[in-house]
Amino acid sequence: MFETIVPLLIDGLANAALIFLVAVGLTLVFSVLRVLNVAHGSFYSIGAYAAASLGLWVVGAGLPGWLTFASLPLSAALVAVIVGPLIERTLIRWAYGKSEAVQILVTFGLFLILEDLQRIVFGVDSFYEDTPVQLLGSIEIGGVVYLTYQLVLILLAAALLVGLKLFIGHTRIGKLIAAVVADREISQAMGINTNRVFMIAFSLGVFLAALGGALTVPQAGVSPGLGADTMVLAFAVAAIGGLGKIEGAAVAAVIVALARVLAIYFAPELDAVAPYLVMLLVLLVRPYGLFGSATTRKI
Amino acid sequence: MISYRNILCSAVAAAALLAGPALAEDKPAALGVGVFSFTSGGTAAYGKPGRDAAELMIERINAKGGIGGVPLSATYVDEGQGTEGVIAEYRKLAGDAATEVMIAALSSGNCMALAPVSDQMKVPTVGWNCDTHQLYLKDAHPYFFRPNGNTVPEFVAYAAYLIAVKPDVKRIAIINPDYAFGHDAAKIFTTAIKAFKPDVEVVAELFPKLGAGTYQTEISRLTAARPDVIFSNLWGGDLENFVRQASPRGLFRSSQAVLALGESSMQNVQIPEGVIVGVLGDGWWMSPDAAANPETREFAEAYKAKYGKWPVFPAMKMANSFLYVQAAYDKAMAGNGGKWPSRDEVAAAMKGSEVKTLTGTMQTRADNDGVVDQIIGVTAKADGHDGPVIGDMVRYKGADLMPPAGEDPIAWIGTLSADLPTKLPQPGSYK
Repeated sequence: MFETIVPLLIDGLANAALIFLVAVGLTLVFSVLRVLNVAHGSFYSIGAYAAASLGLWVVGAGLPGWLTFASLPLSAALVAVIVGPLIERTLIRWAYGKSEAVQILVTFGLFLILEDLQRIVFGVDSFYEDTPVQLLGSIEIGGVVYLTYQLVLILLAAALLVGLKLFIGHTRIGKLIAAVVADREISQAMGINTNRVFMIAFSLGVFLAALGGALTVPQAGVSPGLGADTMVLAFAVAAIGGLGKIEGAAVAAVIVALARVLAIYFAPELDAVAPYLVMLLVLLVRPYGLFGSATTRKI
Repeated sequence: MISYRNILCSAVAAAALLAGPALAEDKPAALGVGVFSFTSGGTAAYGKPGRDAAELMIERINAKGGIGGVPLSATYVDEGQGTEGVIAEYRKLAGDAATEVMIAALSSGNCMALAPVSDQMKVPTVGWNCDTHQLYLKDAHPYFFRPNGNTVPEFVAYAAYLIAVKPDVKRIAIINPDYAFGHDAAKIFTTAIKAFKPDVEVVAELFPKLGAGTYQTEISRLTAARPDVIFSNLWGGDLENFVRQASPRGLFRSSQAVLALGESSMQNVQIPEGVIVGVLGDGWWMSPDAAANPETREFAEAYKAKYGKWPVFPAMKMANSFLYVQAAYDKAMAGNGGKWPSRDEVAAAMKGSEVKTLTGTMQTRADNDGVVDQIIGVTAKADGHDGPVIGDMVRYKGADLMPPAGEDPIAWIGTLSADLPTKLPQPGSYK
């Protein structure tokens, strides 16, 4: 029993960690900006390319290997600082208040542009940089050898969930974001610079997606098409959790990841559809997701 | 006054002009070849060497005066765009009289889609890498040739090799890509293994999607299943990712791995020693036969000089396919008094041909499927080489493992006798 459950749990949580990072960014952007950003998956892959490039440069320059750990959040931060404000101030801002159909078309167009730009900049080759995985080594649990890096990912995602909740609830900018989410018009009337809040929230969403992409590089590398796959999964997770709900994204990520892992263990033919079967079941019972509702808007 | 006879003559002349490519004619300025491979995405790790080999072969053939004095001119098509795009590109090229022959495709799915199109447009097409045994099962394809062999001998060969080196195998696990190639290989391999050793049990069968990227859960599942042997026909970036993720987790220490397309990734990722690998045919540039052929050595050195790596087996398959096309044109021209052959004459020359290649021989059967030998071995260290080489090699004769034309291949595998692996050449015998 122990030998079956432990690998299931570890694999499920390790999977959930990466899914959560990208889905929580999507859900955060939706809750604040009320824009369903189809291009969100591209930020994941751009983060992955940036981390792989920076990591390869660190190794190529003969710098200490532990610097490759620092290169992961650093590359995500660089992507967020450069790409976030640029896109929010141009395309996304233009889409505020427009119908959902227009928003989806605009962000889908952006997704296509970003995918092509990645091909132009990074080419069509795959990139691998696994120094962090090598440095951390492996650990045996329940008769199965795991990468220590997988366990670190679980801890990181948990820390990020707590950190995000603390950020929203206990920092000035977090409270401003929460206020804008609760009521945009009243926030504006009270003097909150909502445009600035939008830009910060969007950039934070980009950072979370890029961080997810960066963290996947040491164990899986990056190749063209990563963004599209991730985007679809992130949407499923965000929908299951309830769009705009951080804790919803976390719970949904665990459910989806466990569904995938269970499928791989017991019904491999259902591996690819497992997340979407879960989504279908949840939305049939709770159309607004596990944590969502038709009227309330809370973050 | 325009007579009925004049109209008829004009119509015949116009028809002859329109049907130009189908008739023997003067030599063109260039022989257009459509070359299809994956050159983008994770699959490019496997497809790019094929494209590179095409480029090099064209340079080398043109440097010697081309085919029948006509230089080759290639149009490259990326199969990464998906089957619909591939078909559209094929139709566009086939509609241009300048493109007289196609070397297409890498993917079995694309070959299945292109074979009927090649028949419809009457363009001789060489399936340079695709190897699904289903290609000729239902319909004949008179213009589609697949001289590099099919999945049946490829994966029966692995089963025979495995039984020869590990006769006590009891539990096998499979991790293959989730499309026809992966499922076909699993079916063929397990049917053959059970024919050779009926008490073998399949303890896990996983089919991650093509381009999955991460295999950590699958690796846990495989480890937990405690198989004696793990068989995989993952390829390209998928294979490299799998090896990168499985090695540090000790998967190759706890089970005997069989990586059917392993040689194609040996220069990109560190495959541990002792893993059973092969080349889905005879296309290893360092095999004893290849090493004894000065032309192969020249090609391999030119490839290494141009692309920085030795030619992996997809590159050899592509190079051999160009020799196949060249041989067909030479044969067709020899048969029609030296005139430039039509597409029909080239296709007729391919049928039933036997062509010496850089690594062996390609025989084309009456059904247009090919027969090639199968080379298998294990990864090993060797002095003077940066990475692993293939040791303990065996070279099975293709004909010994090929089901007769028209017979259900899976049913045929089931009839193989349990002692076949002992009757075939033994591992280590190919030196």
